[in-house]
Amino acid sequence: MKHYARKPGSFVIYLALPFMFTLLIFGMGRFVSGGNAATYFAARTGTANILVYEMIGSAVWMTSWVVVEDVGVSLRNEQISGTLEQNFLAPIDRATLLVGMSLADIVITTVIFLISVGVAVIVTMPADFAGLLQAYLVLLVGLFPLFGVCFVFSGIIIRFKEPYVFVQIVNVLFAVLTGTYYPVALLPLWVQFLSGLLPQTYVIEDMRQIILANQNLVSLYGNIFVLVALALTYPTVGYGIFKRIEKKAGVTGEFSKY
Amino acid sequence: MNPVEVRSLSKIFQTREGRLFRKVSKAVVAVDDISFDVSEGEVFGLLGPNGAGKTTAVKMLCTLITPTSGDAFINGYSVARDQQKVREFLGVMLTGERTLYWKLTGRENLEYFAALYHLDSSYWKERIDELLEKVGLADREGTLVENYSTGMRIRLSFAKALLNDAPVLLFDEPTASLDPQSARLMREYIRELKREKHAIILTTHNMEEADTLSDRVAIIDHGKIVKLSTPADLKEKVKRNEVIEIQARKFSDQILIGLQSFSEVSKVAMAASDAADEVSIRIHAEKGKEALPRILEFLVRKQVSVTKVSFIEPTLEDVFIAETGRSLRD
Repeated sequence: MKHYARKPGSFVIYLALPFMFTLLIFGMGRFVSGGNAATYFAARTGTANILVYEMIGSAVWMTSWVVVEDVGVSLRNEQISGTLEQNFLAPIDRATLLVGMSLADIVITTVIFLISVGVAVIVTMPADFAGLLQAYLVLLVGLFPLFGVCFVFSGIIIRFKEPYVFVQIVNVLFAVLTGTYYPVALLPLWVQFLSGLLPQTYVIEDMRQIILANQNLVSLYGNIFVLVALALTYPTVGYGIFKRIEKKAGVTGEFSKY
Repeated sequence: MNPVEVRSLSKIFQTREGRLFRKVSKAVVAVDDISFDVSEGEVFGLLGPNGAGKTTAVKMLCTLITPTSGDAFINGYSVARDQQKVREFLGVMLTGERTLYWKLTGRENLEYFAALYHLDSSYWKERIDELLEKVGLADREGTLVENYSTGMRIRLSFAKALLNDAPVLLFDEPTASLDPQSARLMREYIRELKREKHAIILTTHNMEEADTLSDRVAIIDHGKIVKLSTPADLKEKVKRNEVIEIQARKFSDQILIGLQSFSEVSKVAMAASDAADEVSIRIHAEKGKEALPRILEFLVRKQVSVTKVSFIEPTLEDVFIAETGRSLRD
């Protein structure tokens, strides 16, 4: 957290990006559909509140993006600077260490999310406080799978040392598959199947349903159940993958290569 | 049980070399069947040139690299099987500057690592104060590490290695890139730790450092321990020869081979000298004083420009030359 405090520029840009992306989509909609853009949007999404709909997608995407990019890049930087070895020399289990490394990013991005979506909701008032609170609960559950993504990412970076390649792949996949800017239902069926494997799909969908369609956690129990299952599965599988890569890294001496 | 027990430890790296689609797998032996023990209050030096396998050996001991075969035990725990337990008993200083967070202050760095080592928060404040005082950084504890000098960073890194007061300490080239005064201070700290009964493994390619600090020295070359004993004992074994050191210019490998053909000469090794375009040649010779005029005559005939000739007391470098035929500074 102190590292972040000493690099305030990234915090400011992360805060501004969801608004910028939403404006971009807004502009593209106008460009493609002209004066009918809002009508088409409402017909396809079931809501006329473009700002909140897109802000939820943008902010959830930003959360995943920042976490994946920061964990990947900072791990690589630590590998280059030598501090990664130092961390791995400590008598602390790897899960705690990796959660610790990811936690600052996840806290920061959650703050970004709370501010950006909070502002959008307050401005347009589509939901009451209880709705907003439930939406944030969904977000909170949706953060756990990100630890799993971070574990896998940590392993990949230690092994392949090219964070940006993987960051870009993951970010594009998240943006395309999770319904960041459009309903997943518009995608081909086989793509929808892939979307269903990503927790952020459920986070975005459920938050939109709660804030924009007056649904609640009980009425969305099916989606919430899947999200909780993914929240448990991702970190477990992710850690397993990391441990395998770590074992291999010990054999090949990857920790010391930079 | 000794705090450090190393048994037939080996590391072979598999590398792939060559062009894309024509890569050939190649086995590189970094550490080759080394065994030694380090007892309480002992400084054990691993001396060898760059690339000899010292750092790989240390990294296996501190669990960063998995051995290919053999094992090592830190306080009875296997580096291959009980890695987390091993880390509890180790204080490690790897290449000095590359171990710290530059955007944190000196104290923050120590606090961060104290937390990773599960040190009790009431204890760590006192311990950090003590260590910062010890390494002379108490008055700069609030400065970001990026504003420290190289020497200060290495001292902080040293303090970090001592945070958990581990019984076994591994120092990898602790004085490399330090100025003479800081290096002297660092050696003094290491002597103090020896008095406190820590088992210390020190890797270095600095023969004076290995000589003055180590109770025993293992000379390592191409991953193998070629000699292991006390510095005095190691030097004693080369004392039957006289050691001539010649500083010269316009020296070549051909002339080196020529020197080796002298009947009195047992070993010759060449290393870069401190002075530009000058080399330092070490000649181990029986009856060196008698052979010297003929050696000089040979060098003059070969148009070598000799700038200095001296007879010197054998050092650990001479032990290395006697064993490998090469200089530590090759």
